[in-house]
Amino acid sequence: MDLDQRAEALYADWLDRLVRIAFSVSLVALLLYVSGALESYVPLSALPELWRLPLAQYLERSASPTGWGWIALVRHGDYLNLVAIALFALIVLVSYLRLIPALPRLQAAIAAAQVLVLLAAMSGLF
Amino acid sequence: METAAAPWWIWPLALFALTYLLGIVAVVAGIGGGVLFVPIVGSFFPFHLDFVRGAGLVLALAGTLAAAPLLLRARLSNLRLVLPLALAGSIASLCGAVVGLALPTHVVQVALGAVIVGVALLMWRTDVHGRLALESDALGELLRLKGEFHDPAAGADIDWRTHRTVAGLAAFTGIGFFGGVFGLGAGFANVPALSVLMGAPLKVAVGSSGLMISIINSSAAWVYINRGALLPLIAIPSILGIMLGARLGARMLRTAPAGTVRRIVIAVMLLAGARALLRGLGLWI
Repeated sequence: MDLDQRAEALYADWLDRLVRIAFSVSLVALLLYVSGALESYVPLSALPELWRLPLAQYLERSASPTGWGWIALVRHGDYLNLVAIALFALIVLVSYLRLIPALPRLQAAIAAAQVLVLLAAMSGLF
Repeated sequence: METAAAPWWIWPLALFALTYLLGIVAVVAGIGGGVLFVPIVGSFFPFHLDFVRGAGLVLALAGTLAAAPLLLRARLSNLRLVLPLALAGSIASLCGAVVGLALPTHVVQVALGAVIVGVALLMWRTDVHGRLALESDALGELLRLKGEFHDPAAGADIDWRTHRTVAGLAAFTGIGFFGGVFGLGAGFANVPALSVLMGAPLKVAVGSSGLMISIINSSAAWVYINRGALLPLIAIPSILGIMLGARLGARMLRTAPAGTVRRIVIAVMLLAGARALLRGLGLWI
């Protein structure tokens, strides 16, 4: 197996593992949310009136946070589900961090730049 | 039925059923789910387009992440090819997401409708089989954008390389931007860019497109998360539906009538695109 194949196999293994985790977390979080086992921050019954609004109005009417403010609300069913979504958005970043040491220098530099872009996107600056 | 009067639980169930079907169709037709999800849900469900685009992005992200390990192991995705193009695409996608959330809804709706109708017409007219590149260009050689895969249909190992690397980088910058604005994976554009423009074999183009979407959409997804534009009750049932549907689609891939499915997809895109366009213009609310 050459270097490319080893790196691709490593990346595939990490993606596979993390997707299974994110899928399982999503399923459990959704069941806890819609069953009412976890109280939701925005009541489920209020959503049909709120989800038709433009984002700015929705945020104002529901008093929902932006940026990383949602982290403080993960005890609520809806924000626990946002953790599941964030897990999907983190999979590439974590897998790239694992991949970089296995890549040739030029490809490693490109992958490192990609990690910086993902970190910038996560930062909440945009 | 007056949509506001319907109980809340109808909608996640309907989304799960729709995206399960989209997962099957997307695999068989060789497209990402987002290009169908955003115009259909944006036009026929009661959610605001801001939330539909966020869900479309994470749906395409989850679907392509689930397929990527299989594609990499089959050597149909190539990391060397994907790394630089996805970097250009994800920077642009980040900018596209910011611009898309800043634009007035009717502008996005009209543009989305026009793009979807245009894409449907392109899918109808365009042959995505490009001519294989015979020699790499200088940048492609530096980045070693080449590889080998086994083609069971031809019964042979195929050596391939790409050319027009600068044009390819520019194309993926544009595709990433549009994907970020509209919440699409844009597989419909990735495949011809890789195949027709850069000269990659079609199977490598299709496989690498999926891997690229997973990387490009990861950056734009954070913009939607941080802006509060991801509603879990819309996004999570859609993610679960498309991932489960895609598994069945992958199993049906050998036997499903791909040509017929593709024609149905084009017809649905024309309908949903026209609906989005007319809604944006205020002609069909």
